[in-house]
Amino acid sequence: MNSNKNNRTLSIILFVVAAMVGMSFAAVPLYKVFCRMTGYGGTTQVSAVAPTPDQILERSIEVRFNAGTGPGLNWDFKPDQRKTRVKLGAQGLTTFSAKNLSNGTISAVAVYNVSPAKAGQYFHKIQCFCFGEQSLKPGEKVEYPVVFFVDPSLDKDPNMQDVETITLSYTFFQKDDPKLDKAIENFYATPVQASQPDSKAREKAWAGTVALPPEKQ
Amino acid sequence: MTIMNMSRFVTFLSLFALALFALPSLGLAVQPVEWQMNFQEAATPVAERLHNFHHFLLYIISGICLFVLALLLYVIIRFNAKTNPVPSATTHNVLLEIIWTVVPVVILIVIAVPSFKLLYYADRTDKPEMTLKVTGYQWYWGYEYPDNGGISFNANMVPSDQINKGENQSQVPLLSTDHPVVLPIDTNIQILVTGQDVIHSFAVPSFGVKTDAVPGRTNETWVRITKPGTYYGQCDQLCGTNHAFMPIEVFAVTKEEFAKWVANQNEGKTPAKAAGDKPADKKAAAETAAPKE
Amino acid sequence: MTSAVHADHSHDDHHDHKPGFFTRWFCSTNHKDIGTLYLIFSIIAGIIGGGISEAMRFELSHPGFQLFKDGQMWNVWVTAHGLIMVFFVVMPGLIGGFGNWFIPLMIGAPDMAFPRLNNISFWLLVPAFFLLVASTMVGQGAGTGWTIYPPLSTALSPHDGPAVDMALFALHLAGASSILGAANFITTIFNMRAPGMTLHKMPLFIWGMLVTAFLLVLAVPVLGGAITMLITDRNFGTGFFDPAKGGDPLLFQHLFWFFGHPEVYIMILPAFGIVSQIVSTFSKKPVFGYLGMAYAMVAIGAVGFVVWAHHMYMTGLDVDTRAYFTAATLIIAVPTGVKIFSWIATMWGGSIEFKTPMLWALGFIFLFTIGGVTGVVLANAGMDISLHDTYYVIAHFHYVLSLGAVFGLFAGFYYWIGKMSGRQYPEWAGKLHFFVTFIGVNLIFFPQHFLGLAGMPRRIPDYTPAYEGWNHISSIGAYITGVATVFFLFVAIYTITCGRRVSGNYWNVQPQCMTLEWTLSSPPPFHQFGIQPKVD
Repeated sequence: MNSNKNNRTLSIILFVVAAMVGMSFAAVPLYKVFCRMTGYGGTTQVSAVAPTPDQILERSIEVRFNAGTGPGLNWDFKPDQRKTRVKLGAQGLTTFSAKNLSNGTISAVAVYNVSPAKAGQYFHKIQCFCFGEQSLKPGEKVEYPVVFFVDPSLDKDPNMQDVETITLSYTFFQKDDPKLDKAIENFYATPVQASQPDSKAREKAWAGTVALPPEKQ
Repeated sequence: MTIMNMSRFVTFLSLFALALFALPSLGLAVQPVEWQMNFQEAATPVAERLHNFHHFLLYIISGICLFVLALLLYVIIRFNAKTNPVPSATTHNVLLEIIWTVVPVVILIVIAVPSFKLLYYADRTDKPEMTLKVTGYQWYWGYEYPDNGGISFNANMVPSDQINKGENQSQVPLLSTDHPVVLPIDTNIQILVTGQDVIHSFAVPSFGVKTDAVPGRTNETWVRITKPGTYYGQCDQLCGTNHAFMPIEVFAVTKEEFAKWVANQNEGKTPAKAAGDKPADKKAAAETAAPKE
Repeated sequence: MTSAVHADHSHDDHHDHKPGFFTRWFCSTNHKDIGTLYLIFSIIAGIIGGGISEAMRFELSHPGFQLFKDGQMWNVWVTAHGLIMVFFVVMPGLIGGFGNWFIPLMIGAPDMAFPRLNNISFWLLVPAFFLLVASTMVGQGAGTGWTIYPPLSTALSPHDGPAVDMALFALHLAGASSILGAANFITTIFNMRAPGMTLHKMPLFIWGMLVTAFLLVLAVPVLGGAITMLITDRNFGTGFFDPAKGGDPLLFQHLFWFFGHPEVYIMILPAFGIVSQIVSTFSKKPVFGYLGMAYAMVAIGAVGFVVWAHHMYMTGLDVDTRAYFTAATLIIAVPTGVKIFSWIATMWGGSIEFKTPMLWALGFIFLFTIGGVTGVVLANAGMDISLHDTYYVIAHFHYVLSLGAVFGLFAGFYYWIGKMSGRQYPEWAGKLHFFVTFIGVNLIFFPQHFLGLAGMPRRIPDYTPAYEGWNHISSIGAYITGVATVFFLFVAIYTITCGRRVSGNYWNVQPQCMTLEWTLSSPPPFHQFGIQPKVD
């Protein structure tokens, strides 16, 4: 009967289905952008400079620091200072210390949020170790500075009137080392029979990596 | 009335047990009781407000259910085929339809106002006087006191075969831990919750506290305990095999006793370890909580 | 509404040629045969899913482990119970079964728009079910809960084996099945209605199915996307939900519940439709406030898409977000209230006959009200602190689904079994089944409110002895319900093999409540509506 009409309806529906699948994948970057823009879920903001001195307000806020490590990461990671008090708009500085307790070089990346979550849009970082990946040699200890300020516009937000404390939390997660992965791949991709006496290929494969290759049979 | 008697009996038992072990300020043991039909006793302002709000809601929803039930019964009796052989032909009544749209809206507004008040009250972060950091592991809780010299320990459930085998006979199966959390009363305590492996949920009913422990996130909640006592909670988010077996046990003590406990913990005596060696013995932890001098 | 129907078309039995057994049941393109397959499938899956819940209640009848080996085994069975009941019992029964059977019959169409697509929809479900059942027996099984939250469902022990992948793939297949089915339904309803049947004259069951189909088309692809990401996270080293790789486990929860909340309306809207038909038929009155009823379902479906995060109040959402989701969720009570009161108003002034389907419909209305008001309690983000993930939630969603959607299934079965099989069940048996089930399910789920208030968490195989009393009552309720369900199976088998033969309009549906399926013989001819009926 009206099969053309049916086919048209079906195509529209299948298009909608495809669009919804697409949107679920698009949600991944969109969610990140959304969190970054609105400070949603306690996502902090990134700024190049602190506000000018004339923007600094009398109202101050206590900023507390909290640190932890993810599963399997053998680092001792803690804030050097439990808390500090900053005026709204004034630049604050604190440090976190991390020590690699394992006997291998480890790269890790820090994820973070502030609580209460509604403070995320007002908490700006100027300098932070969490902007990039950090790598520690065995036994190495590093002090990471964090430079931040609390946006003075917080004072105008009626929702933020009860906020006297903002807690900044970090968790370091061990990073799979892509360089090491690549090296292992190259190592096993090297032809075995030819390279038996010739260690140059192996050396080449491992060039620039930190770990020592296992002995290949 | 059985419930009342039951809870009185349990209270009596706990008091008796506490007297036996001479733990000065460990007041009530708040735990679920047989045939309980309501909340566990509130021990924080948030929990009190939660309970009041629930009871307010309970009146409304009971009223709605009884109203619908009454209408149904009336319809069944008055408009069955025997009593009313000729059906009416009414299919519309604009006024009636407007009423049953508007009245629920009004009821919802009546609910929403205190609901938002409660929500914002529970979320409020008063100036914290101390921090407790809670980490969910598969399947135990780790606790840190960063403001009190970095005391830290893990709390495992007392296994069923060891329950009440030590000197302490007041342990509760599946709720008692080998190393209860000790917290001071009348103190604003910030609780930071995170998860190490999978998502857990830190829940203590008497405190009106429940927060998911999400890996990579640190969620914040707070308590201000009003009464000394022992309080229990459980993990409320499915986290794998032993999800049912990672309880939370809290000793709420006075500020002075808490200070003593902290000093005791920090003396290098490592009572965390001592308690860990004897996981079944809550008394070991209890003694450090309220040391006899 | 189809107030007047010209029914002079049910005499086309003479070219009622049925194909052979294999072709008829395995390559079926006939909507009634596919509907029957769906119903049989739903009943078989229901026996398995219901059997699991009996085992769960047995486990919970006393503290300590009675039946299950450990927590993981418990989690696997809990997961299987949830997924089976949602994807393989309620959806195939209400949507695949009654939808396939009665959409064409009620709109006056000879068949679905795409009969072969219809066949694929059903046969995708069968391997999906086998995969899901098999996943419980592979390795340590998938003990993730039906919500499959990462990181629990990612490749950590004990979910490092293929079990979770199998369960996820089962969801993919079941999802594809429902999307194709929904596309077919929408096309059929939009394009193949009898002349004169405008959208505003469609029976409410068709409205329910139409809204359901739209929800499926919009929601299920999101689940598909989310579990695809989960599969790549598990197997191909991506980090969509892994914080170590810059992902966020909460994103999965957002995606899951963007699907998951409409999903609960997907399960209940067809039941709304069935109950509307039944209440009208047995009150001998047209549905009161027809347009309000239809658009209440549309409103429920639409608002259902903007309330998902009320499942995530405890995950650390901003307080303003929680306030918004509280408000949005409370709003759903308004259209739901319209439906409850309209059903009562339909009965008001009616001449009600209390036949078995009407009893189930009445039970549905009352128990759904209870489930609805506890939903209003849970909607409050503040209140939810005490109740989230406790037995209160279990009680709530079983009141709306087990005592709602499943009551809808039984109501539809008793209402239409005569039409579908040409044979009628014994009335006393249907009533007995109803009353025993009614007592049983209330015994199971009402005490769970108390357990929830007292703080008992969900998804635990063992509990502190204080929770024993109510749990024991609840388990006794489950046994009663189990007996009732076994009785139902006998009733069903008796009915289709040697039930009393019935006429086309065996409920004596009055002209003012008439829908087109009652103009056909019972069972309807293999190919109906050779001449399209006209609707005034």
